[in-house]
Amino acid sequence: MSGPKSTADGEKVAASGLSIFSKYDPLKQRVDVVKKLGVDPFDMTFDDIMSATRGRIGNREIILAGTNNYLGLTFDPSTRASAKDAIDRHGTGTTGSRIANGTYVEHEQLERDLAAHLGKPSCIVFTTGYVTNLAAMAGLAGPNDVIFIDADAHACIIDGTRLAGTTTVRFRHNNPADLDKRLARQKIPEGGHALVVIEGLYSMFGDIAPIDEFVAVAHKHGAYLYVDEAHSYGVFGETGAGIAEEQGVLDKIDFYSGTFSKSLASVGGFCASRHPEFELLRKVMRPYMFTASAAPSNICAAQAALDAIKTRPELRHNIMARAAQLHAGLSDMGFELCAPASPVIAVRRDNEVQAAMEWNWLLQEGVYVNLAVPPGTPESSSLLRISVSAAHTEEDVNAILSRFKALKDNGDDIIAEMMRRMQASA
Amino acid sequence: MPTDEQIFDKICELLKPYNVKNKPILRASGIMSDLEVDSTAVFDLIMELEDHYDISIPMEVISDVKTVGELVNAIQDLLNS
Ligand SMILES: Cc1ncc(COP(=O)(O)O)c(C=O)c1O
Repeated sequence: MSGPKSTADGEKVAASGLSIFSKYDPLKQRVDVVKKLGVDPFDMTFDDIMSATRGRIGNREIILAGTNNYLGLTFDPSTRASAKDAIDRHGTGTTGSRIANGTYVEHEQLERDLAAHLGKPSCIVFTTGYVTNLAAMAGLAGPNDVIFIDADAHACIIDGTRLAGTTTVRFRHNNPADLDKRLARQKIPEGGHALVVIEGLYSMFGDIAPIDEFVAVAHKHGAYLYVDEAHSYGVFGETGAGIAEEQGVLDKIDFYSGTFSKSLASVGGFCASRHPEFELLRKVMRPYMFTASAAPSNICAAQAALDAIKTRPELRHNIMARAAQLHAGLSDMGFELCAPASPVIAVRRDNEVQAAMEWNWLLQEGVYVNLAVPPGTPESSSLLRISVSAAHTEEDVNAILSRFKALKDNGDDIIAEMMRRMQASA
Repeated sequence: MPTDEQIFDKICELLKPYNVKNKPILRASGIMSDLEVDSTAVFDLIMELEDHYDISIPMEVISDVKTVGELVNAIQDLLNS
């Protein structure tokens, strides 16, 4: 049989029999395998979230150890009161973009306070962190400019280069000497500039960039340095201004981006700059201009969290103490960890199937971590990724450690049991 | 200037560690589709080629490259430019 076919009501069907979804058949096979293990790690639901460290699935209480809630401020009395008050005063949504009716005094106040905290003349608030990098990168880099990104760049930085549509060169992860070489090698078109984009704390392995060395290399070549401190703002540095502050180069960073969805306990993003001309980009950044602004409650929660970052250094002491405790415990057990102690601790597993089974078992035993599998993970690794929170207690970390100890001691039995379950449901 | 054949041989050599199923590498082989090299690994391979030939192979050039033969051609073009 050949030629177009039709359904009973005249809808034409491709002669090949393939649909617009057929290209995802290999993906569907992978998803089906994972589903047989129990819970789909990328499509799960919590029946309740009771605190910054506890959730519930059915009648099982779960320790949250993979939520990027670094300072644990999502349930802080100050952030909750601020968000509720914002709803009562300004309603539940702005129903408009920043360039129309979606800029309230609270958006501007937060921009001023973030700029002041980072010591920059300009700061722009966006609707999410993802949108922030898309908007700022595409706004900054024009047709003659060249973007240089770290090999382990987050998806939103890669998408930022796509939206910018300019020449993009990738350099070896956390390697300033390699960037130096690639900056020297790449011809920059007449009138163009180089924009180097790195992160502070890398979200998968939890390793830290030598931002100070990157500043030196970038500026030696006349390039601009853009640092995404999504995972490190509020967590590192004397005043919580991130790894750039800790390394003493905050004032040298040309563009500093971050998110509200981690230490700021809300939803939204920001980018600050030492160049006052950055303000002009409000008139050109499409992901700033053509999406609704963050809700008043999100803005006011982030504002309260910012105040906590500035006035409660003990939050940073707590998270670093818990990170050190967890990291030491796991390495004593002999787990292979991807980086020195930091609030992100990645446990390397042998392969995707092992990692997925262990992830399911951990959840069954009351611990939620993140499963990270290829493609997209550094070194195509399969990881059980843990993020520590200032709200975790010493006992919480001990509880997490005890599950990993069981995994270490009875790993083979646990995998065999998961395999049996998988076969039973086949 | 390396010949077309030399570039092909170099790519085969560098592809080896990523070609886990040890499939035969032909010019017509799809790097991701046939050899099952994942997207991150393709970019790692590109960095090695950049260093070997001392050229810059921007990411947008790679997005148009599907087969080993196309990669050979892309490198030829960059070496000649
Ligand atoms: C490095 C990095 N940048 C940006 C983002 C995006 O942040 P948001 O959740 O606000 O979109 C993330 C979060 O996943 C991230 O890891």
